[in-house]
Amino acid sequence: MKVLKVSGWTIAAFVLPCLLLYVCLVFLPIIVSVYNGMLQWNGIGTSKFIGLANFTKMFTDDPVFWPAVGRTFLLAGFSMLVQLPLALFVAILISRYVRRTSFLVSSYFLPVILSVAVIGQLWKTIYNPASMGGMINQILVKLGLDSWTHSWLTEPKIAIYAIIIVGLWQYLGYHILIQFTGIQNIPADIYEAAKIDGAEGFKADRYITLPLIVPIFKISVVLSFIGSLQSFDLIMVMTGGGPAHATDVIASVMYNMSFLSMKYGYGSAIASFLVVVCLLATVIINFLFNRLDKRFS
Amino acid sequence: MNKTSKRVLSTVMTGLLAVSLAACGSTNNGNKESKGAAADPSSPAAETSVASPTSKDKVTITFQNIYPDPTDPKYKMLRKVVSQYEAEHTNVKVELDSLNTDQQKLKFKTQAASKEMPDITIVNPAAQMQPFVDADLFAPLNEMVEQNGLKGTFTEGILDYYTFNGNLYALPDGNNIALIYYNKSLFEKAGAKVPTTFEEMIDAVKTLKAKGITPIAIGEKDSWTGSFLFMNVLLRTNGGPGFLKDVVDGKRTFEDPAFTQAVDAFQSLVQAGAFQEGATSFDYNAGENLFKTGKAAMYFMGSWATGGIETSDVSKDGNVGVFKFPTVGGKGDPNQFMLAPGSAFAVSKSSKHLAETLDFLNYFMVNYPKEMFEQKGAIGLAQTVEGDFKAAGYSDMAMEVMNMFKDVKGGDLAFDNTMNPGTAQVHLSSIQNLFVAKKDSAAVAKEHQKGYEENKQ
Amino acid sequence: MSPSTTAKVIKPAAHARRRGFSITKTIVFVIFGILLVTQLYPLLWLLIYSFKTNEEILSGSFFSLPAVWQWSNYTSAIESGNYWRYLSNSVLVTSVTMISVILLASLAAYAISRFRWKYGQLVLLAFLLGMMVPLQATLLPLMLIFKNLDILNTRLSLILPYIAFQTPIAVFILSGFMKTIPQEIEESGIMDGASVYRIFTSIVLPITVPPIVTVCILAFINIWNEYILAATFISSEKLKTLPFGVNSFVSQYSVNYGAIGAFLVLGALPVILIYFLLSEKITKGMVAGAVKG
Repeated sequence: MKVLKVSGWTIAAFVLPCLLLYVCLVFLPIIVSVYNGMLQWNGIGTSKFIGLANFTKMFTDDPVFWPAVGRTFLLAGFSMLVQLPLALFVAILISRYVRRTSFLVSSYFLPVILSVAVIGQLWKTIYNPASMGGMINQILVKLGLDSWTHSWLTEPKIAIYAIIIVGLWQYLGYHILIQFTGIQNIPADIYEAAKIDGAEGFKADRYITLPLIVPIFKISVVLSFIGSLQSFDLIMVMTGGGPAHATDVIASVMYNMSFLSMKYGYGSAIASFLVVVCLLATVIINFLFNRLDKRFS
Repeated sequence: MNKTSKRVLSTVMTGLLAVSLAACGSTNNGNKESKGAAADPSSPAAETSVASPTSKDKVTITFQNIYPDPTDPKYKMLRKVVSQYEAEHTNVKVELDSLNTDQQKLKFKTQAASKEMPDITIVNPAAQMQPFVDADLFAPLNEMVEQNGLKGTFTEGILDYYTFNGNLYALPDGNNIALIYYNKSLFEKAGAKVPTTFEEMIDAVKTLKAKGITPIAIGEKDSWTGSFLFMNVLLRTNGGPGFLKDVVDGKRTFEDPAFTQAVDAFQSLVQAGAFQEGATSFDYNAGENLFKTGKAAMYFMGSWATGGIETSDVSKDGNVGVFKFPTVGGKGDPNQFMLAPGSAFAVSKSSKHLAETLDFLNYFMVNYPKEMFEQKGAIGLAQTVEGDFKAAGYSDMAMEVMNMFKDVKGGDLAFDNTMNPGTAQVHLSSIQNLFVAKKDSAAVAKEHQKGYEENKQ
Repeated sequence: MSPSTTAKVIKPAAHARRRGFSITKTIVFVIFGILLVTQLYPLLWLLIYSFKTNEEILSGSFFSLPAVWQWSNYTSAIESGNYWRYLSNSVLVTSVTMISVILLASLAAYAISRFRWKYGQLVLLAFLLGMMVPLQATLLPLMLIFKNLDILNTRLSLILPYIAFQTPIAVFILSGFMKTIPQEIEESGIMDGASVYRIFTSIVLPITVPPIVTVCILAFINIWNEYILAATFISSEKLKTLPFGVNSFVSQYSVNYGAIGAFLVLGALPVILIYFLLSEKITKGMVAGAVKG
């Protein structure tokens, strides 16, 4: 791609204001976190430099860490494989069948605006045991499926999936909005041209919408991945990471370590891990999508 | 880009950084209204007031607290005392930074780490306070409490939990004990009798359960609630207080029979179906609410819950009674309680208005019991309260709780007030696990011991 | 972008609608309907919730109306929750942040995607690194920085980190979009002798409206409910933002759920209103942008 040729001053004028603020307030703290990750420090008193010991312990001798990493990726996996395709499907349907789209898209988006505290409370009433008026269990009991009832949020094997469903539901509208924006952004004349060539309806979607939505879909993928890594509020509200770490994810382990167990150094090591994983993932996602992009064009 | 422009660029970057930082600083200095001088020790205004500490200078004291809820008696008390003080000391303004408990802990830890402390803050007793004391953050209050007999208003021995190496660093807002509240009509309905031993308690649980009544309500999402109950069992199986202290002193380990017996007893309670379904997803309030709405027959909690239960529907017509935690396997003394010395007010050592802050806190604590009594929140205070409770409209149940305080013959503090935070987290999670899985008590003991050894400083 | 070109735009939807079979259409609208119910239900639930007593809320039944509608929840939300003050603070902080993010990020994104210089990719990578920073881990470093800048307990101590935390994702989205702008569009500007600044403001920015809207929405939802940074850096009552109001009903051993619900309704109300009012315009803006793209 040919690009504009401009002087160093111009580049500086465009990039520096943003970059400086970013470097000072985000990049620097990350570096500090990595350094703190090498300390044995309760966050208040004196600290001791212990090199990579925190990282070694984290990777080799922490019964909580790896399962939490696994659950985080489980979250990300479900989001990317279930939520995003569904969102894309709905977005295509909306753009195809609905004339006044804004009401529908905005309504779907609403759960995102509501604070996690509300969402958590609401879903607790859905998951509660039947005796406490929980919706799912009451329905199961009414259908005579008593044996199917579960204490959804407290059975260690089930709880994390119960939380994943809430996350998928809450952010569905968010991804519908993004995908829909992308579809709206595809120039109408492309569809017109395709129509002349006999491509219409779902055929047009297969050959036009899907390839052209790729860049926007990439944004969704990255956002959903980041969202999954950051998933913390919802888990804190619904289970607090329990019972006995059964719903802990990386972010909640980090919080527990830094502020409850008062192992600030160890918590910082986990934070650094989180940042690195995210960077790697973003680069990999970028790379994959660039290849995908090339294949389509 | 060539070399020269690269050098230019790097110079510009450095320059811009400096300028932007300076700009940030100067924007602020111009922005007077947005900041109280005392909130920031390095601002010029604060420095001048230190240089000339004449009492006529305008002084702002930042008072970080955990009473943001208007329905909490402490909220009203706090505002009333502050406005009284401000009226009497026109040069002093008290800025209240009211946060909820979790957020206050997070904020205060961050502030402590960067030595940017509020003048007055809230800390928890004993082991939880230790790291902050070790970092030398608080001003000693020894002289301040002697000044006008403030020290004498506190219950005997309570200040020990806030005293380190002979220095008193904080003044508690309460002093509570653990007990069991029970719903008389539910007990009657099920034909259960008030237990005097742990074994009877399990029988009562089974009787209640058979009648479809949740025997005990608990908010185990906040894992300290289960731990608090477990520790009371341990206090009995150990035949008295001091088990954790023995562990810290290296005299015993968690694999001691007293501990495994406690785990077994606790599990027998869980296995009997004592707690509501899905207990680990109920937070403190949701758990307590089961009892307050008459859905559960018993509730084990600190005496601070008295006020809330007293005003709830379930307490109508004296329906709620209280009893002491019973003996376990014939061991222990019901007059030994789980003790819960309250969160406490500490003064920052680096406060720019140390004299004024100490004076204010003294005034505050002197008025505290009287105001709390008026707000009907005087159950479980750390200070002696003058006044006729009965006449002031406190319920029979509240009076019963008050009388229980007179029977206290020592006891233990909660786990996280005794052990370091790392071990405490291992313990909390381990006990929470007992609510969802049956474990071998030896394995639980091992888990504790491993957690303790790893976190030993 | 003349009005005539905008008018010519046909939504991709239009061309297929006529041919849709009625059965397919019915199924599709049933799907829409189900989604609508599940996504709108929480709002209704919250509304009912905000009129209940604590006991009713905590009893956890899935659908029930309050025995007595507790309007007092709203009075306490507005009075004790300091609704108006917190709302105006939130509006101020959020709008300043959003405007700054858009301005700074679009400048940077433009330079990264359209200028020829060696470090473009490196700078982008640096920004990517910041997309996922756990807020809790930055609290302490930020505290130290702000202490030295002497801006703790000012609005700046919220606005600056908010901008900084939103820029990475904004730069990522905007630079991705700008890369796809056909070069001819810029070249026409160069032919006319326009400076690079002119090209940016009068050609590139207008067609970047759709992703900018997306960035705005993302930034908004991240900032509006943000509490951790706010609670840590702000101590003065008069600077506090909406999430403080929500949390002011949570004390050590009690929570006033009804008032929280009322406060959340009041907090979400202006957002929802603005969003629905503008959503028509937003969609139009996106479509208009698409013509040139």
